[in-house]
Amino acid sequence: MNLRYVFQELTRRWRRTVMAVIGLSIGIALLVILNALSLAYHEAARAPLKEIGADITVQRPGNVPEEMAGAVFPCSAVTIRMDEIDRVEKIPGVRGVGTALLLWVFDPNRAWIVLGIEQENPVGPSILRNFVKEGRYLVAGKPEALVEAAYARQFGIRLGDSVSIAGRSFPVVGLVDASHAPKIAVANLYLPLPEAQAIAAASKPLQSVSPFAVGDVNLLFIKAGQEKITSVASALKGVLGQKTAVATPDSFLKLLGSFFALSDKFTLAASLIAILIAVLISFKTMAGNVAERTREIGVLKAVGWTRRNVTLQLLTESVVQCFIAGILGLLIAYAASFALGFMTVNIPIPWEMSPTPHFLPGGGATIFKTLQLPVHIPVSLALFAVLLSVVIGGLTGALLSNHISKIKPSEVLRHE
Amino acid sequence: MNEAILVGVDLTKTFDDLTVVRGASIAVGDGEFVSLVGKSGCGKTTLLSLLSGLERPTSGRVTIAGKEISGASEDDLALFRRENVGFIFQSFNLIPTLSAWENTALPLFPIPMAEAERRRRAAELLDRMELGNRMEHLPAALSGGEKQRVAIARALINNPKIVFADEPTGNLDTATGDAIMAILNRLHREAGMTLLMVTHDPELAKTADRVIRMQDGEVLS
Repeated sequence: MNLRYVFQELTRRWRRTVMAVIGLSIGIALLVILNALSLAYHEAARAPLKEIGADITVQRPGNVPEEMAGAVFPCSAVTIRMDEIDRVEKIPGVRGVGTALLLWVFDPNRAWIVLGIEQENPVGPSILRNFVKEGRYLVAGKPEALVEAAYARQFGIRLGDSVSIAGRSFPVVGLVDASHAPKIAVANLYLPLPEAQAIAAASKPLQSVSPFAVGDVNLLFIKAGQEKITSVASALKGVLGQKTAVATPDSFLKLLGSFFALSDKFTLAASLIAILIAVLISFKTMAGNVAERTREIGVLKAVGWTRRNVTLQLLTESVVQCFIAGILGLLIAYAASFALGFMTVNIPIPWEMSPTPHFLPGGGATIFKTLQLPVHIPVSLALFAVLLSVVIGGLTGALLSNHISKIKPSEVLRHE
Repeated sequence: MNEAILVGVDLTKTFDDLTVVRGASIAVGDGEFVSLVGKSGCGKTTLLSLLSGLERPTSGRVTIAGKEISGASEDDLALFRRENVGFIFQSFNLIPTLSAWENTALPLFPIPMAEAERRRRAAELLDRMELGNRMEHLPAALSGGEKQRVAIARALINNPKIVFADEPTGNLDTATGDAIMAILNRLHREAGMTLLMVTHDPELAKTADRVIRMQDGEVLS
C-alpha cells in the first residue's frame, strides 16, 4: 500500500470523499449523541438518590393513622424493624445502609413533618450538613433540632429558640435551606434519630397502627454496586415483603417518560438504524468510486500490482476515509452534546418520598428535582465510535476490494 | 535477429465459441523493434496480451527472457510484468489523481523503496522525455503527446526487458504521433530497447526492424 497514493486519491477526488465521510460521520454522530443522551437520562435519574448518598430507598406502606393527633407515621412509611435492617445489611451487593425516621407530628396548634436522622452516616440525609444556612449542624448525642428555613420564617422560629414537639423541647441550632437540599426525605424539623425514635415509641396513635420499638425506623437508604442495584432491589422485597416500596434509579427513569429514559432498546434500535443508513450511504459512495476505477485497477495490475497490492491499497483508502468520518462524527457529537447540556430535566419526586401531608397547604403539589441534563460522551463511547468507523471502513473496503481486485487487466484494457 | 527474448509458440485464444488467435507463433530478438500489423479485429491486441502475460493462452506457450509464463498464476504474472515488461497503451491509461512523476513511478509503488528514490528515477525518465518541468502536473493538465510521453516513462521505470506498445499513436494527431514514434525509435536505437508494437498503420509499421502481419487471428509472416 502506498500512502501517497491513498492521500492523493482521497484529496483529489475530494467531492466523493466528502460525500462518503459526511454520510458516515452523521451516522456516527447520531450513534454517539443517542447513546450520550440515554446515558444522560440514566445519570439524571440517579441524581435524586445520589444526592443523599444512596442508590436505593426503601419504605414500607401501611395503614392510614386512625386520628391525626400526636406523632404518627405517614401511611407510606411504617415500621421497619431492627432485625430486618440486620438482614438487609447482609444482602449481597449492599455496601452501606442508612436509616431515618419520618413522622407527622400534630400538636394542638401546629403540624410538623419530623425526620430523625443519623448525623454521621454518609448514606442518607446527613448530607443536610451542607445546606445549613444559619447556625450549625446537629452534634452527636445532643437533643437538638434543625428547622427548615422557610418553615422557620413562616412560624417565626429563630436560631436559639426552643421548639416543643410531642411534649419534648429541642433547642434550634441551625436553619436548613431546603430549596438547595435534596428533595428526598425532606421535613420541617430534623432531629437526631434516637430523639425521633423516642417520640415514635411513646406515641400511642402510632403504636396502634404500626408497633414500633426504639431502634426501629421507617426509611432505609441503601448504597449498592451499580451492577447489583436490580438484584438488591429484588432481594429487599424478599426480606421486607412484596408490598415494600423500593425506589431505584430505574423508578425515576420511568417517571421521566422520555424515549431515551424509557427504553435502552429504543436507543439501541435507533443507533443501529442510524449506523445502517450511514453505512449504506458510505458503501454506495465507495462502491461507485471503486466501479469508476475499474480501468485504473486494470492499469495497476498491468504494470505489476498483485491482487494483494490492490486490495491493501483500496482497503487502506476505505479505512482512512472511515477513520476521518469517525473523528468528524465525534466532533459533531461533542458539539451537539455541548448544546444539549443546556437542556434541563425535571424529575418528579413521588409523593411518598417527599411526604408533605396532602391535607396541608402545598401537600398535593408535585415536587421536582430540576437539573441540567448531564450530557457527556464517555471515552469508551468515543473510542467505540471511532473503532466502529474503522471496522466499517475495513469491512466495506475488504468487500469492495476483494471483488474488484479479481479483475483481469486484459478484460478492462482490451476495449480501447 | 539476436537471441530471442520473446517467444510465442502455437498460441491460441478462444473466448467462449470465438477463436481470436489461432496457432500463432512469434519470436522477437533482444533489442529488436517489431511491428505487428493487421486490420482492426484481426487479433493483434489479443496476441499482444498473450505475449505480454496480460492474458493466458487457451493453448500454446510464451517465454520471455527464458521464463515460461503461460501457466503462471495471475499474481505471478503481475510480479513478472513488474520486473520484466513495460506497457504503452493507445489511451495512455494514466491515473487521473496522480501527477506526472507519480504516474511514472506507479509500477514502483508496491516495491519497498524510499520515496525520494522513486521520485529520482521518475524525474530522470521524465527529463529524457523532455517533461522535467511538468513533473507535478496532473494528467488533465497535460496534452495528448505529453500524456503518452509520461506513459512511455512509466513503461521504462522498471528497466524492462521488453516493451509492448498497443497503437501508441492511435489517439494522437499526426505530428504528435510522429514525435512519439521518434521517441520510441530513439529509445530502440540508442538504448537498445526491445519493442513489440501493435498498429494498423502500415506506414508506422515500416519504421520497425521487422513487420509481422496478422489476419483473422493467424500470423502470416
